[in-house]
Amino acid sequence: MAIIEAVDLRKVFRSVVREPGLGGAVKALFSRQVEETVAVDAVTFTLEPGELVGYLGPNGAGKSTTIKMLTGILVPTSGLLRVAGLVPSSRRQDNAQNIGVVFGQRSQLYWDLPLRESFALLRAIYDIPADRYRTNMKAFAELLDLERFLDTPVRQLSLGERMRGDFAAAMLHDPRIVYLDEPTIGLDVIAKEAIRTFVGEINRERGTTVILTTHDLADVERLARRVILIDKGAVIYDGPLERLREEYGTHRTLVVTLARPYEAVEVAGATVESREGNVVRLRFERRQTSAEALIRQVMNDFEISDLQIIEPDIDGIVRRIYVEGYADGAGTPS
Amino acid sequence: MTGAVPRRRFRLAPYIALASRAMAREATYRFDVFGSVASVLVRLYLLKMVWTALYAHNVSPSELPLHAIITYSAVALLMGLVMDIDQTRALHDRLHDGSIVTDFLKPISVPLGFFADGTGEVLFHAALIVPSLILALLFVHIDVPSAATVVVFALSFILGYLVGFWINFILNCSAFWTLEVSGVQLIVTWLTDLLGGEIIPLVIFPVVLQKIVFVLPFAAMFSTPLLIYVGVIPPAGWPAALGVQLAWALGLGGLATLLWRAGARRIVVQGG
Repeated sequence: MAIIEAVDLRKVFRSVVREPGLGGAVKALFSRQVEETVAVDAVTFTLEPGELVGYLGPNGAGKSTTIKMLTGILVPTSGLLRVAGLVPSSRRQDNAQNIGVVFGQRSQLYWDLPLRESFALLRAIYDIPADRYRTNMKAFAELLDLERFLDTPVRQLSLGERMRGDFAAAMLHDPRIVYLDEPTIGLDVIAKEAIRTFVGEINRERGTTVILTTHDLADVERLARRVILIDKGAVIYDGPLERLREEYGTHRTLVVTLARPYEAVEVAGATVESREGNVVRLRFERRQTSAEALIRQVMNDFEISDLQIIEPDIDGIVRRIYVEGYADGAGTPS
Repeated sequence: MTGAVPRRRFRLAPYIALASRAMAREATYRFDVFGSVASVLVRLYLLKMVWTALYAHNVSPSELPLHAIITYSAVALLMGLVMDIDQTRALHDRLHDGSIVTDFLKPISVPLGFFADGTGEVLFHAALIVPSLILALLFVHIDVPSAATVVVFALSFILGYLVGFWINFILNCSAFWTLEVSGVQLIVTWLTDLLGGEIIPLVIFPVVLQKIVFVLPFAAMFSTPLLIYVGVIPPAGWPAALGVQLAWALGLGGLATLLWRAGARRIVVQGG
């Protein structure tokens, strides 16, 4: 049975229209001209227990609004939502016991307390049995390397340390579902790697269902097999990451380093993506132009010192979908 | 279908943990026992001087002879140690910076969490009362009333605390609507100081003014317990006095609940 079920989920924000300046502020007190913004429009998806899904979209696509509805702190305008058998907004406290949330931009730790005491407080709040608490603390301290700063007040921790603390805090009560909202934002490579390993481990070992929103597509490539893409509040793709790569990763880039300067560089079957000095990036469609033919032509026309073919990364694919819209597989969300 | 998942039962443990966390926090910073006690001593001494000087040059009011008014002021000062704390400031701050969202992610009642936090803070500061009371007894020789009076005073003090808590909570709730209320807050502080009877007993106000101030909630915070302590409200008047306090505590509590609900709805509907 699905652990998360969202059907035609819709969220409309209403705000009072206000003209700029003091006059506008005064006018807004009397007139009730209300403006509606559709943040999430007919989002439908289901998640099975133990899935790890990348929930992706550009800024303002409705990712955070969806997450807030899943946590029960936002009430959907319409549609059906069920998380572990509960309607989150009408059973906020019960739902909270089932979920763990990490916001990259906002810590849930207690600012003035050492990490260890934050955890002890969470233990009381979530009613975590003593043996579970001990086991989890031990496991997390090891996985996230917390031991060093367990007794440091949270306000003195670095961002990387604080995020590791936040992850442990979110998982301490063995939530069945975890929402990660841009969890690696602002972190250095090492901290990102530690977080990714932790999330992968939790998902694999404990069967925790994970929804991950991120702008760092390396997170997704590393962790998620399934992605849901949303844009302007609606789902535009829901399926395996691989399929997305096959359908949209049809272009490649040939990076050519010229042996001497040329005025203009033009090659049939490819477009110049960028040029910096003697390094030219040529973009071509795999289906229309073969790499072999292109390379032969380049070597024929120019004197070159280096060649390199770059396969499309998920970042480029997603960017392309946002710009061009999803077409090939449209209307076939799984 | 949803009914299949049983509702969680209420647990007190999270709130006790939150209160003791608040106490631990107060102990870490913002607190200096010696400084606070020294300040109490200075203020006790000053108020004794002021009232003695004032009474020497004026006709003393019949209700409060010099010794009674010094007792009154000293006890008011001790009450102020816990009553003057902005115990729901955290609510205001967390609404302003948006971190209130993370409070709603926890399986607890959010307003009750703030109540626990504020009470923990207040209880910690209440520990100051004991050394201060000893100082008051030693240096200004405050009166100690009968045991029955002390018990009723304590009861009245708790009701006064609740009235003060709700006024404070209501003011901090304003942050739901991002209204800047520091001005209003200042006015309320002045009103509490002046009309609550913390500094000047309300019984020495002109009779016309007394009629007004005694029905305001501020009197329920300081004046009522203090007048019970010094005996201006005799045992026959106790039920009525406590009744008025209780009415204010319930009324303001109701208003605070309504405000909280409206504010929380704003968050869950509008997303903060």
